Amino acid sequence: MESATVALGHDHADEHHGPPEANESSRIDKQTLGIFLFIVSEIMLFGAFFASYFFLRVVVAPSSWPPEPYELPVAVAGVNTAILVSSSFTIHYALESIRRGNRQGMKLGLVLTWMLGATFLFIQLNEYVHIGFSARDLAFGSIFYGLTGLHGAHVFVGLMLLSFATIRAFRGHFGPDAKDHLGVEVPGIYWHFVDVMWIVVYVTVYIL
Amino acid sequence: MKISEEAVFKWVVIVMVAAISIIAVTLLTRPLAGALWALVLVCLAGWWGLRWAARKQRGR
Repeated sequence: MESATVALGHDHADEHHGPPEANESSRIDKQTLGIFLFIVSEIMLFGAFFASYFFLRVVVAPSSWPPEPYELPVAVAGVNTAILVSSSFTIHYALESIRRGNRQGMKLGLVLTWMLGATFLFIQLNEYVHIGFSARDLAFGSIFYGLTGLHGAHVFVGLMLLSFATIRAFRGHFGPDAKDHLGVEVPGIYWHFVDVMWIVVYVTVYIL
Repeated sequence: MKISEEAVFKWVVIVMVAAISIIAVTLLTRPLAGALWALVLVCLAGWWGLRWAARKQRGR
């Protein structure tokens, strides 16, 4: 009886225990899928803020927008937009460089992207200091700071991701193969999303 | 759909061009015209997205 139990236990030792192995798609790696799903959830978050914004502008419909006597620094924000858009080109350059095996180009692209992102954030904080109204000034102030602040938080997170990627690049990580530079590709996708979101925020809040 | 940085970068350029056209229309005419043009572009993007999704489903 005892020998039978031992034999049975031995047979089961080779079997897989616990949850089944996760299925992996051959078309998309799990890191890219992860950031894609995260971005989809972020679009919904921004969508909620835009819904509030358009409710205020279209349904509540104040006589003037922005309400008197407030003014938005359209030109400064325009320059800031150009800075952020150019950072999408530099991160793309970084990725194109590593795809061709050019490590110096990747490092340069990452450093430039980080600096442009930090400049954008600095200018935005400077804008908050000098804009002349706070989040407590009417619903206009709340939604302005809500939308631009939410985006600013995303830029900050993007800068953190870029910091990790840049440090790893200078430590000799990443290679030309697709699976070897996911650490740059995933922050790159996130950075493009942050960029697109700012273009939408700028056009909606500052221009229209 | 291929999800990669390259594909997303193309969308950055497309959104940027669309935004420039909206800014131009707004500054040359008035904000309402810019908003309507933006609405037209959003509708076009939605129609294109639906057509793309339908084509993908037929392909399966």
